[in-house]
Amino acid sequence: MKKFSNFYIGLILFFLFAPIAVMIFFSFNAGKSTSVFTGFSLDWYIELFKNSEILNALKNSLILAITAAAIATVIGTAAAFGIHHMKSKHLRQSLMTVTNVPLMNPEIITGISMMFLFVFVGGLLGLSTKLNFWTMLIAHVTFCLPYVILNVLPKFKQMNKALPEAALDLGCTPIQSFFKVQLPAILPGVITGLTMSFTLSFDDFVISYFTSGTDFQTLPILIYSMTKKSVKPTIYALSSIIFIIILVMLLITNREKSSYERLEAKKARAEKKRKEAIAKANKRKKQKLSTEVPVFEASSGNKKFSSYSLKIVALVCAVVLIISTCVMIGAYTKNTVTLNVYNWGEYISDGSDGSLDVNKEFEKYCRQNLGKRVKVNYVTYTSNEDLYAKLSSNAVSYDVIIPSDYMIARLASEGLLQELNFDNIPLYEECISDDFKNLYYDPENKYSVPYTYGMIGVIYDANKVSEEDIGGWDLMWNQKYSGQIVQFNNSRDAFGTAFYKLGLDVNTTDKAAWDMGLEELKKQKPLLNKLVMDEIFNMMESGEAAIGAYYAGDYLAMVDNQAENVDLKFYYPENTNLFVDAMCVPTCAQNKELAEEYINFMLSEEAAIANAEYICYASPNSLVYNNEIYKEDMGEEAIEVLYPENFDFAEKYDANCYKDLDKETKQYLNSIWEKFKTSK
Amino acid sequence: MTRTPKTRKTHRSLLQRYAAAPHIVWSVLFIIVPLIFVAYYAFTDGGSFTFSNIAAFFTKDYLVIFWKSVKLALIATLICLLLGYPIAYFITTCKPKTQRLLIVLLMLPMWMNFLIRTYALMTLLQDTGIINSLLSKIGLGPVHIIGTETAVVIGMVYDYLPYMILPIYSVMAKMDHRLIEAASDLGCNGFGVLRKVIFPLSVSGVISGVTMVFVPSISTFYISQKLGGVDTLLIGDVIEQHYTSSNYNMTASLSFVLMVILIVGLAIVNHYTDSDEGGGMMI
Amino acid sequence: MKTKLIELKNICKAFDGEQVLSNVDLYINDHEFITFLGPSGCGKTTTLRIIGGFETPDEGEVYFNGKMINDVPAYKRNVNTVFQRYALFPHLNVYDNIAFGLRVKKVKEQEIAERVAEMLELVNLKGFEKRDVSLLSGGQQQRVAIARALINQPEVLLLDEPLAALDLKLRKDMQVELKNIQSKTGITFIYVTHDQEEALSMSDTVVVMADGKIQQIGTPIDIYNEPINAFVADFIGESNILDGVMLKDYSVNFASHTFECLDKGFAQGEAVDVVVRPEDVDVVPVDKGMLSGIVTSVTFKGVHYEIIVDIDGFKWMIQSTDYVEPNAQIGVYIEPDAIHIMKKSEYSNMFGDYSTFSDEIEHLSDVTEGEEE
Repeated sequence: MKKFSNFYIGLILFFLFAPIAVMIFFSFNAGKSTSVFTGFSLDWYIELFKNSEILNALKNSLILAITAAAIATVIGTAAAFGIHHMKSKHLRQSLMTVTNVPLMNPEIITGISMMFLFVFVGGLLGLSTKLNFWTMLIAHVTFCLPYVILNVLPKFKQMNKALPEAALDLGCTPIQSFFKVQLPAILPGVITGLTMSFTLSFDDFVISYFTSGTDFQTLPILIYSMTKKSVKPTIYALSSIIFIIILVMLLITNREKSSYERLEAKKARAEKKRKEAIAKANKRKKQKLSTEVPVFEASSGNKKFSSYSLKIVALVCAVVLIISTCVMIGAYTKNTVTLNVYNWGEYISDGSDGSLDVNKEFEKYCRQNLGKRVKVNYVTYTSNEDLYAKLSSNAVSYDVIIPSDYMIARLASEGLLQELNFDNIPLYEECISDDFKNLYYDPENKYSVPYTYGMIGVIYDANKVSEEDIGGWDLMWNQKYSGQIVQFNNSRDAFGTAFYKLGLDVNTTDKAAWDMGLEELKKQKPLLNKLVMDEIFNMMESGEAAIGAYYAGDYLAMVDNQAENVDLKFYYPENTNLFVDAMCVPTCAQNKELAEEYINFMLSEEAAIANAEYICYASPNSLVYNNEIYKEDMGEEAIEVLYPENFDFAEKYDANCYKDLDKETKQYLNSIWEKFKTSK
Repeated sequence: MTRTPKTRKTHRSLLQRYAAAPHIVWSVLFIIVPLIFVAYYAFTDGGSFTFSNIAAFFTKDYLVIFWKSVKLALIATLICLLLGYPIAYFITTCKPKTQRLLIVLLMLPMWMNFLIRTYALMTLLQDTGIINSLLSKIGLGPVHIIGTETAVVIGMVYDYLPYMILPIYSVMAKMDHRLIEAASDLGCNGFGVLRKVIFPLSVSGVISGVTMVFVPSISTFYISQKLGGVDTLLIGDVIEQHYTSSNYNMTASLSFVLMVILIVGLAIVNHYTDSDEGGGMMI
Repeated sequence: MKTKLIELKNICKAFDGEQVLSNVDLYINDHEFITFLGPSGCGKTTTLRIIGGFETPDEGEVYFNGKMINDVPAYKRNVNTVFQRYALFPHLNVYDNIAFGLRVKKVKEQEIAERVAEMLELVNLKGFEKRDVSLLSGGQQQRVAIARALINQPEVLLLDEPLAALDLKLRKDMQVELKNIQSKTGITFIYVTHDQEEALSMSDTVVVMADGKIQQIGTPIDIYNEPINAFVADFIGESNILDGVMLKDYSVNFASHTFECLDKGFAQGEAVDVVVRPEDVDVVPVDKGMLSGIVTSVTFKGVHYEIIVDIDGFKWMIQSTDYVEPNAQIGVYIEPDAIHIMKKSEYSNMFGDYSTFSDEIEHLSDVTEGEEE
């Protein structure tokens, strides 16, 4: 039985730790992949400490977690004190019920409900940023509070009721009595509440996801936008470090606990000895009690000292943390100008892999050339719809955004974009070719400066797919490769593939056409492995999937990381989607001029090349695509894929790009998309 | 002989009277009011009152999704219970020192970011992942897991198993082991002891464990996104999709219905088990 | 020389509508050792807490040195308390516990050190300074609690059942020690207990309470010998309480027999309660006895035998050093000075013979009191 139970425990622990072990293992990967191990290296750890985006998110997470935990602990401890002394049982019970709501309610509902409140109140107050650090802080304090109260309240109940009275009796005021006597008695509960709050807040994703604004990106939010694309081992490296720190901390507290238990055992022994002594004394007949022998004189003092000093240390740490947080927040909000840039994840050269940290460079540029202290607050989103939700909620404030074409059209039509002052963007005329001007989404070139462009093509694994099957969209409907095909997990793109295959207009408002698309997709569904967005990277690289449609630039990244037995190839079908992502300044921007400065800086040769090399998408910037070093760096094959020869961009673009659909069509699309997803 | 009344009305200082006030204000502002907003958005469309959002939930598409969410969450909860209950019991039979170590080990994964853990699990379960390469080496595989409902259930079990084990353990650890001896003394065999003594005494832990696994499972959207496939759209995903497409009214109505169903469910469970307040909620 | 230090006037207090104290009037002299004695729920602890400032009376006034202190909070009263289970601060060692009050008053550390040493000397705990209080025995904790209170040089020390948690032997020793400390320091002690023996052996004055009312105030000897009513008679020591009729001064009829007694001043034919202490009843041969009955049980109690005798259906308790056979017919003889006559009161007929008497009942009531307070 014992053997079996040990085996069973081991098995469960193995199950729980296997993914963590995998994570730690791949943090030492020499390659970029998180599923194919290509050799040992510490590169990702080095990378980690150079990655300002991750470090900044880590710092933000720490600030938020410490502040939220500190506030929740103070309010929660006071609340536990109040609840403990509450006279009305009814009031106490209803308060506890409300307190427990965030524990019982699904996180997604807690997050959404608070988002509604913040957006509404922010609207009333006329704030331009309705979701920000403070809303997140409030949300975090709210879900931490019940944990503090549930940990502290029992300590009040366990405490000898006479203790506070004894303190009053000895001359303490009620407040002194609380701090001198009750607080030490409940301290273990307070510390547990504090640490639980800290970790919960530090790790929280769901509630943060709904209540975070632009100016404050925490680690889980960053990780979320990263896991939408391919996770780089950098984040594994960070997680490994956190894991080790937590492990060490837990083991230390565990040891402290066992030393506490030794103290308890000692008490028990002392009790026994005392009883024996009394028995002996009784035998010797009536001996005066005042001579009672001290049983163990010297040994006990320091033991007590260690646990007490631990408490002091904990308290001091807490105070230091709170103060440092306040200082940090103070420094954070001091008057350097903050430029909020909202971009796709992994869509800028960020200093990793020895690339140029473009945002840092811009800060440097401002300091040197404009004499301004500028802080670029770079936040990422995962889809255009995500961006739209944030912008249209009026809850946030960004200075620069980089949406895709159809979204630009929608934003402009809803008055969410500002006209640019091209005097501040002199490079626009110089380096953006006419191909990228007067496109449908911005016919008068008022709102946008193109950042990247590209096309969707079909990626396939040449080791699994035979050459004769390739060429058109039919490959993605080919029965032969059932279970190895992946399709976009995004209604527009998924229907796009079907429409191109059928030769329909992707921007049609004809419901019959959409129904045809649905039928086509339903035919494809049994063949699909999965609906994917950024997961496609991993699946293609590892050979998990053999056929999928994606952007040309991303194909190049996949080739770099493909596993040994995978040989990825790429082609453009006859009709396919073309897109342009362009930089815009939304109406909620607070530093328009600086935003234009930033846009101009992104067009400058050094920054633009760095971005183009990092993102691997085609650049509309002549300073880039005419640059020999860039061409050399990218390699001939990549240039061929990105900039196909004899290609009339403007014409193809007009025919095949996605335009913003009208509301009715959009709703219809949504409904048939859900039908597709739930269909058998 | 008169008896001293149990609740002694003592003189309460200002401190005692108002210490809970900030929390009360906070709870009203940031717990109750936001829920009212959910109800408000759920029952309105552009400011005018309507039932259509709520009615939309009861259409076939959403009911299918909801039923799938319930099914997967129930399966995950059941598996967690079946896996977690024995391990909680086994831990209580260990030496105190080992017990503490095991609890630390069980808590450790909970302290890691669950996005990362889920992502790591995803790479493990892939057709070309470690598990499948091992399976194919010994000739059993590869088994296609990722993208199926099985994968989603595995993800839920993996992420939330500690939430099942810890409350059950904390209730069991408080249990007097002499009771088991007493039961055996009174003629119960091993299974009888489990059924007649251990299980009834640990019910409160099981209840909070089940709640703590079921609630996040039914409302998850990340796990189904990462581990699920073509067919595993859950209610959480739909809520999140409505949120990202800025359809606040549908977001609110789905949230509202989900919440009401959960509240009713929990109330029924609590009514029939009559467990004491909080039970083994905390560790 | 004796001055009124504390005075309670017409104190009333109710908890949740239940009257706990009604119209309590009491004064306490300086340097006195006064004990509140009564069964659990009689209001003695509440009275103490009112003096300590932990409860405020619903009605009535509390005077301290002639000044009304109803609204003075506990921490401003020059009164200190030894709590029922000591209430030592578990996070502080012996030294810091004792020094607590002085530190609150911001006394210099050096003076604190001196005074703590003095106190440790007084309570015989020298050398225990660095001890963790939770590692001390009950008796030692008790002493720390006393030292912690006394170091503040209060005018009054309140002791709330301080010895209840100690075993019998230790309790006896501590009683002596407390009495010594009181006489050494000269501080007024207000002591709460439900143990009548403890009250009688330690106090200068005993206040017997029941049902929120003071039944009797007096010296231990007065209380024992001249209980004012059936309750006091029954609660203090063992007693046979019978219904009687006063025939005339110095003559009373009870148990169908007329006895000579020392009491006078009752109306002729007035119904009264008659108390006869078990140790005052002599066992004699049937023919020499004033009354006779059959022995129903005999219990050996160490110093004496406890004999229950059925006399005309009333079970008498007699304590005698001589052994008698159960079921034997014996006679009893009662001296006039063994008879104490009391006026009828609300407690009459509540206490009677020993037919239902059992040690456990009294014992149980002690335990529940401990749980509740």
